[in-house]
Amino acid sequence: MAEEFNTGDMLDVYLYENQQLLEALQDMVLEQKDADAFDEDSINEIFRTMHTIKGSSGIMMFDEITKASHKLEDIFYFLRESHPENVPHQELIEHVLATADFISGELDKLADGESADGDATELVAELDKFLTKIKDGGGKKTAIKENVHEEPTQFYIAPASNCTKNYFKVYLTYTKDIEMANMHAFKTVHALKEIADDIMYSPEDILTNPDSAQEIVNNGFMMLIQMQGTEEDIRAIVQPGYDIQKVDVYQCSERDFKLGFDSVGSEIRIDLDSSVEEIEARAQKKNAEEPEKTYSPGDFVVAKKEPGKAKTLAKDKPKKAEKAAFISVDISKMDMLMDLIGELVISQSVVLQNPDLKVPGLNLDNFNKAAGQMSKISTDLQNVIMSMRMVPLTATFQKMNRIVFDMSRKLDKDVEFEMVGDTTEVDKNIIEHISDPLMHLVRNSVDHGIETKEERAAAGKKEKGKVTLSAKTESGKVWITVADNGAGLDRDKILAKARQQGLLEPGRAESSYSDKEVFQFITLPGFSTNKNVTEYSGRGVGMDVVVSNLQSVGGTLEIESQAGKGSSMILKIPLTLAIIDGIVMEVGKSSFVVETSAVKEFVSVKESMMIHEPTGEESIMIRGECYPVLRVGDWYHLHDYQKDVEKGMMVIVEVDKRKICLFVDRLVGKQEIVVKPIPDYVHKVRGLSGCTQLGDGSIALIMDPAGIME
Amino acid sequence: MDEYITQRGKYVTFKSGNEYFGLKIEYVSEIIGFQEITEIPESEDYIKGLINLRGKIIPVIDVRIRFKQEPFEYTDRTCIIVINYNSLVVGLIVEKIAEVVEIPEENILPAPTIGKADRSQNKYVYAIGKVGEDVKLLLDPDRLLNDADKSVIEQVNNETEDEGEEE
Repeated sequence: MAEEFNTGDMLDVYLYENQQLLEALQDMVLEQKDADAFDEDSINEIFRTMHTIKGSSGIMMFDEITKASHKLEDIFYFLRESHPENVPHQELIEHVLATADFISGELDKLADGESADGDATELVAELDKFLTKIKDGGGKKTAIKENVHEEPTQFYIAPASNCTKNYFKVYLTYTKDIEMANMHAFKTVHALKEIADDIMYSPEDILTNPDSAQEIVNNGFMMLIQMQGTEEDIRAIVQPGYDIQKVDVYQCSERDFKLGFDSVGSEIRIDLDSSVEEIEARAQKKNAEEPEKTYSPGDFVVAKKEPGKAKTLAKDKPKKAEKAAFISVDISKMDMLMDLIGELVISQSVVLQNPDLKVPGLNLDNFNKAAGQMSKISTDLQNVIMSMRMVPLTATFQKMNRIVFDMSRKLDKDVEFEMVGDTTEVDKNIIEHISDPLMHLVRNSVDHGIETKEERAAAGKKEKGKVTLSAKTESGKVWITVADNGAGLDRDKILAKARQQGLLEPGRAESSYSDKEVFQFITLPGFSTNKNVTEYSGRGVGMDVVVSNLQSVGGTLEIESQAGKGSSMILKIPLTLAIIDGIVMEVGKSSFVVETSAVKEFVSVKESMMIHEPTGEESIMIRGECYPVLRVGDWYHLHDYQKDVEKGMMVIVEVDKRKICLFVDRLVGKQEIVVKPIPDYVHKVRGLSGCTQLGDGSIALIMDPAGIME
Repeated sequence: MDEYITQRGKYVTFKSGNEYFGLKIEYVSEIIGFQEITEIPESEDYIKGLINLRGKIIPVIDVRIRFKQEPFEYTDRTCIIVINYNSLVVGLIVEKIAEVVEIPEENILPAPTIGKADRSQNKYVYAIGKVGEDVKLLLDPDRLLNDADKSVIEQVNNETEDEGEEE
């Protein structure tokens, strides 16, 4: 049955919405993790979130998700209604997170096209235990009946009109001293809703008007029910108990039902002090006063409809206003748009630089004006599409927040997490690539970096352990730093391990290794100085993966560390991979592009400046500095390239403070280029990172200086 | 579905050296005239470089060099057959496009082999199609595009697996 509903869009929307909800939920919970208790808004918000998830999962018939979210909803329902004291906040947070994890796990499964087959039984049992616990802890104040009804999977089915229908009037009289009678009434309605086709009740505003509690206590609570069951079914659900003093059920006709509460007065009422008309009048007056009610998600709305016009009881689920401002777009469409805009930019330059325009004597004033306008628009277009792909790092950082929280509890370390500049925007593609490396670095920081409480005390460190995740943009790159104030890297330990693994250069003194060189050892595969393999790290896989992941998006990792003070890992990642600012140059018949930021200067040189080494290697002396020379034509075995250094051009490029000189035939110009990958079919060529189309439609190869220097 | 039926049994044939080769029409996305090729350094000799196919950059291979035949001079008649095999888009430089022929299944014979070791001769050709008196060598795009060594290894692997199953 579930498969019928699993089709396409509905599932996508379900997954998308609920994932958003869960993310928001998690953020909120973590925000308040250090507080003593949730504030009221958060409790309401969590309640509503769970309620929405429960509802939509119910529709989609994912029973386990429904069960789990329902149980958590119960807890927050209790918190919301009873304001119990002595709720163990940390434990509560763990339960919320565990539930959120369970649900997002299931959602992930669904997103991967698997079935949501997780079992929530254990989780529900845990939550139950917790609920009982806080109820006991809350003492006698908990006069609220538990939200016990087992909510069966909800089917949104139009009421069957051809079945036998019975109509009932139900009068409930509540104990005089009960508090919040309106909530009790609401729960009864909610429970009856499961068997009823249609329910009307009076007073109608039990949810929004706290005064209705008194009204219910004074006047009783009335319901008109249309259902297929019998009086016994109602009585089975609504029983006199500690809250309800008396239950009266009368069968009535369809006519009575359609008349609504207008006909109620004709019935003989017992146990009521005031007449029904009075209640009627009051209820209707209130209705008139508040014609527009605002319902929040999670409120059940049964009122406000024409009597007899059979509608299924549904939850009023207004879309959140801010959601309307977003649509989710298939990423492949974005890529297509991006490609097309790239094409547009290129074909624009084909038009604007068309050789036909070079005919002398043409009056191009109007053309140039129009062309200028067009260039402006296409530049804007390019900027917009670029900004569409840019997403803030916030979500990625939040995930790390969660990791730190989990780990600090499990490892019993007191760790504070700080985020700086999390709104920095990065290309979506890049975010996907850095999420895993970041997670690894953060885990490392908490696991290895931050010391245990005892060690910190012994080292005389008073403050909490702290992991700082910061991001900023600098010189066209995003710098993401994972810093901790822990023990720092142990240079001697790393050196010892490197010696053991035979990584040190023979005959080189250990003291001659710079800190940077030593720290680079930890990025080698299979290198771990941690003796104990923990749940999180220590297996010696990871740092090498981090580095290779970063390299795949053109990023680098720098490690800084001070013994006893902590260490920072600095990731430098390009903002975007899609468009770069490049210098176009020619060698023989081929065109090459080098990223502008890597180019230091262009120099025309004299033969006398060249230094020829006997091995055939060449260097050049420019203004007292010596640079190795790489003739691009030789390097790539091209044909017909300039061999005379005086006729060509030297391009000094710098990567990681290393400079080399590329010798090319001539420079063509500076240009924004759309980077395209070299088709996979061609094997990777050293020093080439991609290709692009130039203005005339020809293809240029993008050189990656870092790749050449390797 | 209709497209599939109309395409069934049809082959694009082209001349390379003295032989005529055939490729299933479903792999062929288009045939374009010769255009300028950007060389890629340090790649296999038969990969001639990259071309710009309306904004899409695709690699092109020279079929003659791929078949270890003598290279030929590119002229106006030289064509590039753009094929799409498993979403791998590659251009094939061929001397001359011949025609599109329909070869019924009964006229297709498996490629003759002398022995198991003899793979060099017909590793690209999986079958031979008879059209009247002529013979077209039908190409396996997978073997044509992918590295011979790799495919030999894969074949060996597959064979050992097959043998394993038989036992």
